Amino acid sequence: MDWNLEETEKKALIEIKNAVDEKELEVFRIKYLGRKGVVQEIFSYLGKVPKEDKPLFGQKANSLRNNITKAIETKKQSFIEKTKDFLNLDVTLPGVAVSLGHKHLITQTIDEICSLFETLGFVIQEGPEIETEAHNFEGLNIPEDHPSRDGFDTFYLEAEDPYEKNKNLLLRSHTSPGQIRIMKEHKPPLAVVIPGRVYRPDAVDASHSFMFHQIEGLLVDKDIKFSDLKGLLTDFCQKFFGKNINMRFRPHYFPFTEPSAEVDISWKDGKKEWLEIMGCGMVHPKVFEFVGYKKGAYTGLAFGLGVERIAMLKHGVSDIRTFYENDNRFLKQF
Amino acid sequence: MKISLNWLKDYVSCGNSAEKIGHKLTMAGLEVEKISSYLNDKILELEITPNRADCLSMTGIARELSAILDKNFDSPKIRKFNFPVKRSDIKIQDKTGCGCYIGTVIEDIKIDEAPLWIRKRLESLGLKSINNVVDVTNFCLMELGQPLHAFDYDKVAGGKIVVRKAKDGEKIVTLDNIERVLDSSILVIADDQKPLAIAGIMGGVDSQVTAQTKNVLLESAYFDPVLIRRTSRKLGITTDSSYRFERRVDYERISIGAHRALALILTCAGGVITKYRKVSTGSYKKKKIKVMVSKNDINSYLGAEISFAQIKKILKRLDFGISVENKETLKVSPPSFRPDIVSKVDIIEEVSRVIGYDKLPLSLPKIQRVNIEPNKQRQRRKETEKALLAQGFSEIITFSMTDQNKLEMSEINATSGIKIKNPLSLDQEVMRSSLLPSTLSVVQTNLNRGEKKLKFYEFGKIYTENKEQDVLSLFLCGETLFDWRSKDRKIAEFYDLKGSVENLYSSLGITNLVFQAKEEPFFEKGQSCFIYQNKTKIGSLGLLKENVLAKWNIKERQCYFAQMDLEVIYRIEKNIKKFQPIIGYPSIVRDVSLAVKQDVSFQDIKNIIYENCGSLLSDVRFTEEYLGDKIEFGYRGLVFSLIYQSEERTLKEEEINDVHEKIVQELIQKLAVIRR
Repeated sequence: MDWNLEETEKKALIEIKNAVDEKELEVFRIKYLGRKGVVQEIFSYLGKVPKEDKPLFGQKANSLRNNITKAIETKKQSFIEKTKDFLNLDVTLPGVAVSLGHKHLITQTIDEICSLFETLGFVIQEGPEIETEAHNFEGLNIPEDHPSRDGFDTFYLEAEDPYEKNKNLLLRSHTSPGQIRIMKEHKPPLAVVIPGRVYRPDAVDASHSFMFHQIEGLLVDKDIKFSDLKGLLTDFCQKFFGKNINMRFRPHYFPFTEPSAEVDISWKDGKKEWLEIMGCGMVHPKVFEFVGYKKGAYTGLAFGLGVERIAMLKHGVSDIRTFYENDNRFLKQF
Repeated sequence: MKISLNWLKDYVSCGNSAEKIGHKLTMAGLEVEKISSYLNDKILELEITPNRADCLSMTGIARELSAILDKNFDSPKIRKFNFPVKRSDIKIQDKTGCGCYIGTVIEDIKIDEAPLWIRKRLESLGLKSINNVVDVTNFCLMELGQPLHAFDYDKVAGGKIVVRKAKDGEKIVTLDNIERVLDSSILVIADDQKPLAIAGIMGGVDSQVTAQTKNVLLESAYFDPVLIRRTSRKLGITTDSSYRFERRVDYERISIGAHRALALILTCAGGVITKYRKVSTGSYKKKKIKVMVSKNDINSYLGAEISFAQIKKILKRLDFGISVENKETLKVSPPSFRPDIVSKVDIIEEVSRVIGYDKLPLSLPKIQRVNIEPNKQRQRRKETEKALLAQGFSEIITFSMTDQNKLEMSEINATSGIKIKNPLSLDQEVMRSSLLPSTLSVVQTNLNRGEKKLKFYEFGKIYTENKEQDVLSLFLCGETLFDWRSKDRKIAEFYDLKGSVENLYSSLGITNLVFQAKEEPFFEKGQSCFIYQNKTKIGSLGLLKENVLAKWNIKERQCYFAQMDLEVIYRIEKNIKKFQPIIGYPSIVRDVSLAVKQDVSFQDIKNIIYENCGSLLSDVRFTEEYLGDKIEFGYRGLVFSLIYQSEERTLKEEEINDVHEKIVQELIQKLAVIRR
């Protein structure tokens, strides 16, 4: 029999390609590659080919065997792939893991603010909540029986101050006593932030709570200027709230700073409404005097901000009580 | 404080735009909180800070505006009187309480309505018109900030005014028709027999000016700010007068106020001045203050470049006396109505706020390296926090105050904690001595709202014996890990919380802990333990008692709580960790299965193992506790593996047979365990 190798190969490849399952493919494999198969037959025929045609015929026969073998392998692989599909996972089913906890939004806000100041070289400090009148008021130039105390309604403890007769201990009504403690213990240069809980006997409503958090900042050195205060806090606000804000410094009164200011922000694309976010000023010389610094030796700036208020403004929380309710669904949002 | 724009225009030409004026005032430190309309007038509501008593009047605000707008300030014309020789009978007994008292008697007046222009002025500020004399005193109060009071002179017994402390138990019915019981801390204006008015705060009904009044005594006085403040707080009355006296009235305005009012009374109500007397005790006079300040002082403090001319102009507009000492240095004498100005920084603030802070430059401070260690306690808390968040605990923040009832509900000694002297409500009466009550209140809220899987932590303080102590609390209830591949739903139990606690401590490098079965009053017996480090209790954890949960109306029964001292964590010293070589030789694992009596703990077993193991034991790994009925009653099954390993060679089975057998025999002998 004379062989048309091209035709044979073409026919074989079509048959293999059209095989419907592995069984049929096996039939074709035996037909072509089996011990008595077509390929074997062709190679047996090689002996009968005229000498001069032998190399070419041999080459073609080899190529035919390789191509058929490859085609069968490929087809077989495709059948295996198909059966494997049954084992495929539904990757859209939920994964299984311990769910992570959530830091309270107040703590997150404190951490963010503190770390912004830390990168500038401020050091985080803390102070006690139970304080003396000396630290909470007198040292901060807030004398007894003075109307400036009106802004600082304070919880008093039944216990007496061990250092001062006839005065009760109190719960700090702001974090500013932290300034006094730091300055009593350290000489400038000073750059500290003091976060913590503070207490005021305020009736509770959507924007007031008898306990809340503040962060106090204090920078004291030989040549701190009012322009530094403006620059530092402008930089802070832009980093914390983003560039999309307007800012203003409005003169105000705090007994422990002079000049004093309140900082207001408004959203550039929001309502044209100014929102007060913090108080600040240049440290009053009376405060330096109280902590025993040499007169005129230093100047300083200080600021204090209410964490709840800032978190409410930044994240759109409308009721301060949300923070203390600790609804799991609130906690998980942040 | 309210001001009227129309009225303001009497003293300064400030234009018609209330918004513009409001903005200017706000940006100079006189915050305008609200602007409203009243007839054809605009009313601005200002928040005056406590240092600016001088701004509690129309003229005070006008003066400020004249400086801000750089416009002239026209103060009201004050008529001078030649007073009669006859003197009013005035006696100041309390010389510190009353610094000055001017009493003028006007006879034959005609009480009527005040003229329309006065009534309109008062009404625009929300003041009710009463009669011509009273309206004039109110008008002067609003115009000048000097409180005045008019008595019906015929009701003044003996025609005599005595400024004295009240007698204990003395009574007066004040103008608001309330009978007040006085005491010896309260200053009164009295006649021969009885108090006529509470000094500086409110007049009495008996001596008020009525339609029948013929003769009046006009009071203009200075009362001690502290005294007025204390009285006002004690009696719970704040009036336009007391508000100004306690912020200190201008002592030079006492006379001016009297003159201005007298002129208006004579115009509106007729009459003749018959008696006059001014008594000064001198206690109010403050030393005249002079402050030296240079242009350079101001500019270096502000980081600005303000001209000397501008500085002078601003101070002049604010009525400060100035004289140029030498080139660019001023000697400044603040006016009598600015007792808040005592030093250089005060002058600097005046200049800067009138210019406007927004017009001053910005700079970034040079921040030097600070020689203070960052707060270590906070750092340790942050590390603790990391370990808790990773284990799925969410942070709660609760109030530091609670009430005794909630402490009792939580089976915590109600007298522990620190009492607050002035709580606003009962739930603030005591500083908590445990985080449990506030945690339970959060748990209750969440369970009520259908949140059943709760895993909380809080860093808080507890307060005992006037000290505050940092603690950490954990709370756990509901399903632990949700795994849809397994049918079993695991509900949190003791070992889940204990595992978290162990994880936490080990992540912080604290390993030498002992857990001992023991319970707090709020824990179920046999379901809780104390945590000890070197024999010191550092915390406890366990299942909350059923009756505690019931009292809190919490239906969930599997609630676990832990509270731990942070002091132990604060004390951790960060040492550099040294690498421990990893042993390359294989280990041999021997399982041990024992039946042990109820009172034998795994800790007892471990102790015996460690006493007898020699150097080849590397670990004891617990695998199973069996509590079923396939074991003798009174016993439970414990399965664990002992892992043997040498750092130097591959161990042979025979080598450890002896050690292992010795351990098991010791357990059998000492703890009467049975091999299973």
